[in-house]
Amino acid sequence: MTGTPRATALTRLGHTAALAALLAFTLLPVYWMVTSALDPRAGARGSSILPSGLTLDHFQRVLDQGGFGRFLLNSALVGVGTVLLAGLLALLAAVAVARFRFRFRTAVLIMVLIVQMVPLEALVIPLFVQMRNLQMLNSLIGLTIVYLAFSLPFAIWMLRGFVAAVPREVEEAAYLDGCGWFRMFRSVLLPLVAPGLVATSVFSFIVAWNEFVFAFTFLQDEEKFTAAVGLHRFFGQHTNDWGAVMAGSTLITLPVLVFFVLAQRRLSHGLAAGAVKG
Amino acid sequence: MLAPALLAVAALLLWPLGRVVWMSFQDYGLPQIVTGTSNYNGLDNYADILGQSYLWTTVLPNTVLFALACVTLTVVLGTLVALLLARLSPLWRTLTASAIMTAWAMPAVTGTYVWIWLFDPLGGAVVTGLDGLGLVDAGDTNWFTDRLGFYAIATLNVVHHGFPFVAITIFAGLLTIPRELHEAGIIDGANAWQRFWAITVPSIRPVFSVVIILSTIWDFKVFVQLYLMPGGSGANPDVLNLGVWSYVESFAQRQYGMGSAIAVLLTLLLLGITTVYIRTLFKESEEL
Repeated sequence: MTGTPRATALTRLGHTAALAALLAFTLLPVYWMVTSALDPRAGARGSSILPSGLTLDHFQRVLDQGGFGRFLLNSALVGVGTVLLAGLLALLAAVAVARFRFRFRTAVLIMVLIVQMVPLEALVIPLFVQMRNLQMLNSLIGLTIVYLAFSLPFAIWMLRGFVAAVPREVEEAAYLDGCGWFRMFRSVLLPLVAPGLVATSVFSFIVAWNEFVFAFTFLQDEEKFTAAVGLHRFFGQHTNDWGAVMAGSTLITLPVLVFFVLAQRRLSHGLAAGAVKG
Repeated sequence: MLAPALLAVAALLLWPLGRVVWMSFQDYGLPQIVTGTSNYNGLDNYADILGQSYLWTTVLPNTVLFALACVTLTVVLGTLVALLLARLSPLWRTLTASAIMTAWAMPAVTGTYVWIWLFDPLGGAVVTGLDGLGLVDAGDTNWFTDRLGFYAIATLNVVHHGFPFVAITIFAGLLTIPRELHEAGIIDGANAWQRFWAITVPSIRPVFSVVIILSTIWDFKVFVQLYLMPGGSGANPDVLNLGVWSYVESFAQRQYGMGSAIAVLLTLLLLGITTVYIRTLFKESEEL
């Protein structure tokens, strides 16, 4: 493109430098978290790039004394509950929106926008009062129901694209072969939108797993803490035990990282499909 | 089939929204929560909030300037990264995209703790490193107590977490621009800067709009990244933004009515921003 070989070499050098800086900036927090969690003398680490050694002591400490096993289990329970509920409701809604020629595209889009726009504080105050009245404040079920509301609009939006991508002829063929609607749904539609369901589930799970404000406000009993709230409590009690705090952070971050990398393609595909198909 | 989903959204999003408005017209404290009675005081909460110099000199500037800084930096960095991605070989592109994903995937809570640890005044990497270079004195440096320092660290955290979405979205947009446009630009003697503004930006203007709208909305309501920082949960009144202020009023002071009123004001602010943006979006699509 740019004339002389010297200019090309300079551009390449510039690209390499930019790439190196970008990767360093991007990966710094994850790298620092994991290495601090493994460093036997994490608190005295200072700015040394390599940890002074490798140990799993910090992980053992947060799991044994910090109660992180319990917290992670609670988070997983809430996450799975949210996934199941959101998956079911979103699938039904997505089929309705994509197949039955409602003009609900705009309505769903507006719901997504509202969820994005409304600040959590505007919801956490009334829902706190509501859940208190219903005696569901200190319960993981109450929390699951709240997370359902946050993941649902987006899940519908994503799934709608996947349902719309299934050719109508495939369904009609099933009807011709004598299937009822439910049989068609179970044997034809469901297997075809399964990848979309996976992507939606990953998204809903991450929403529930990462959420802090509602869990922090609703849960008072340490037995019920989710991982994010447990980490906050642990940090309050052991402020300078950075090795342990980073070990807890690593335990919370790793599942999300794995999910994200595994589902990366499908997630971005789902976003695009939701926007285009229909 | 749509009914269960609509019911859930109505019960958990619309009903609470109505209720928060209703609570904002009351002096709603612990007694009201316990007995469930109402205690109207008209517009007192709003008059109280809008009449405070604290709102105008501290909370509102914190909210607006912080959001503006975050949006600008996120979008600029995200765009630069997208342009870089477009020039990489497929292998490096995949590697870089995966690396960027880790920044996006990191939960806000754990990410914030890592940044606190990096900037920790006692033995954090940044202070120790700069002290070793003789630039600061580790003994009396604590960026968290200083309003500007506090928000600089929060900005770094939010930008780091937010730029991957912008980069990936704009990169997807870049792929839709026909190569011929850029080739024509080169033949006409336009340099990279001119081609960016004359070809890239107009071609994918809607993508930029969406990215800017979403970033603005998100950055105006940043909560976790501020609340978890030292002093951010109310101990240091200088560093609250609207969202954190609303939460602290409600759950630390037990002034749920006041907290609701602040939350309503923040919602109105966001509603205003969203409306303006959507209008410009529609105007643009009419022009096209």
